[in-house]
Amino acid sequence: MSLIAISADSYPQGLDIAQRTAAALGYGLLGRELLAQVAADRGLPQEQLVQALEETPGFFGMRTRRQQELLLHIQAACLERLLADNLVCYGLGAHLYLVGVSHALRVRVLAEPQQRAAELAALRGLPPERAAKLLERQDQERRRWSSQFFQADEMDPAQYDMVLSLGNLEPEKAVEIICDAAGYRKFQAMTYSRKCLQDKALAARVLAKLMPRFPDIRLQASDGTVVAQVQSLKRDQRKKQEAVRELASQVPGVSYVEVQVIRDYFGQAAQSGR
Amino acid sequence: MSTPLRVMLIDDEPIVGKRLGPVLEKMGCQTETFVEPAVALNRLAEQEFDVVVTDIRMEEVDGIGVLERVKALSPRTKVIMITGYATLEVAHEALAKGAFDFIAKPFEPRDMRQAVAKAAEALGLQMPEAAALMVEEILLTEESGLPE
Repeated sequence: MSLIAISADSYPQGLDIAQRTAAALGYGLLGRELLAQVAADRGLPQEQLVQALEETPGFFGMRTRRQQELLLHIQAACLERLLADNLVCYGLGAHLYLVGVSHALRVRVLAEPQQRAAELAALRGLPPERAAKLLERQDQERRRWSSQFFQADEMDPAQYDMVLSLGNLEPEKAVEIICDAAGYRKFQAMTYSRKCLQDKALAARVLAKLMPRFPDIRLQASDGTVVAQVQSLKRDQRKKQEAVRELASQVPGVSYVEVQVIRDYFGQAAQSGR
Repeated sequence: MSTPLRVMLIDDEPIVGKRLGPVLEKMGCQTETFVEPAVALNRLAEQEFDVVVTDIRMEEVDGIGVLERVKALSPRTKVIMITGYATLEVAHEALAKGAFDFIAKPFEPRDMRQAVAKAAEALGLQMPEAAALMVEEILLTEESGLPE
C-alpha cells in the first residue's frame, strides 16, 4: 500500500505514465478532475485553480497571495484524498507537499526534449528553434513557481525518489520500473507515515481557513494540536490570538490551538511614527 | 482467541512498559516486558514471540540491532519499532530491514492496539478482544465528530 506522486515536464506524457501506472497497479488516479470538486465545495472558480497550478506569479498575473490561497485549497483537498492510500497522483503538485511522507514515492518523468519542443511547436505553430527557447523559459518559470510556493526547485532531481527519462525508456518500461519501486518495503504505509500525512492534511486545512485573514501565518499540526505563529503589533496581540484560535478551532479535527505571537517591529515602528 | 498473542516489549524507559503492558494485556496479549535489550535478546533465544515491540534508541543494543536479531531467529515474528526520534530516513531503514510497523512517540494507545491487531492479522491470528476495542474506538470517534 503506497502513494505515487508523479511530476513531469510534459503534461500529456506525464499523464499517460500516471494513467498506465494506476492501471497496472490497480490503484486509483487522482488528477486535475479534483479541481472541479474543490471549486464546487469551496466556491472557487475552477479556471483560477488551474491557473494557480500553472502560472508563475507576475506583474500581469494573479496576485501571489491569492494564488497561494488557491494552492492551499488544492493541497488540502488532495492530501485529504491521499489518506485513502493506493493512489497515483498527478498534476496537483503533490510531489512538492508530500515531502517527509515515507510511503509516498515521488517520481519525475522527463520527456524527450526534441519531442517536447515538437509538441509545443505544433501546439503554438512555432518554428522548432523558437519552441526550444520557449521551453527553456517555461522551465525557468516552473522553477520560480515551485520556489515561490513550496520553497523547492521542482527541476532538482534530489526532490524525487526516482527520475525517469522517456528519451531512454519506453513508456511501458518506465511504468514497470515505477510499479516495481512502489513494491519496495520502504514505500509501504506505516503508522508513522500515515500520521505525517494526517498532520499535513490538517495543517493545510487550517492554513486554507486562516490565510485569507492572516496572510503571514505559519503553522504546524500534530495529532489534532495546531501551533500557529502570527505577526502582531503589541496592542493587537490578544485580539489576534483569540481570532486565530477561534477560526482554527472551527476546522474539523482540531482539538487544541496554541498561538504564538511574533512581534511586528516594522508595523510597530510605522505606528509610533504616525 | 484460543492461544494468546505472545508479545515482547522492549524499552529502556520503564514507564513505557508500565503504560503499554496493560494496554496489550487488555487486548488479550500475553506480554513480557524488558528494559534491558540484552536480556530481551537472551529471552528471544529461548522463546518465540509473535510480536516484538521495541524502542529504537537504547544504549546496549539499539532497536535496529534487536530487529536484525529477531528476524534472524524468527522470520515470522512481526517487529513494531517505536521511537521519539522519528525521521523519514530511520523509518525507511527500519522498513527496509523488515520492521512491520514504525510508530513515533508520543502515541495514543489505540495506535499501538491497531498496529498489534494488524500484526496478528498478518500472522493469520484472530484477536476478538482487539476487534471489540477497535469497534469501541470507532464509535467513540464517530460520536466526537473528529476524524480518527
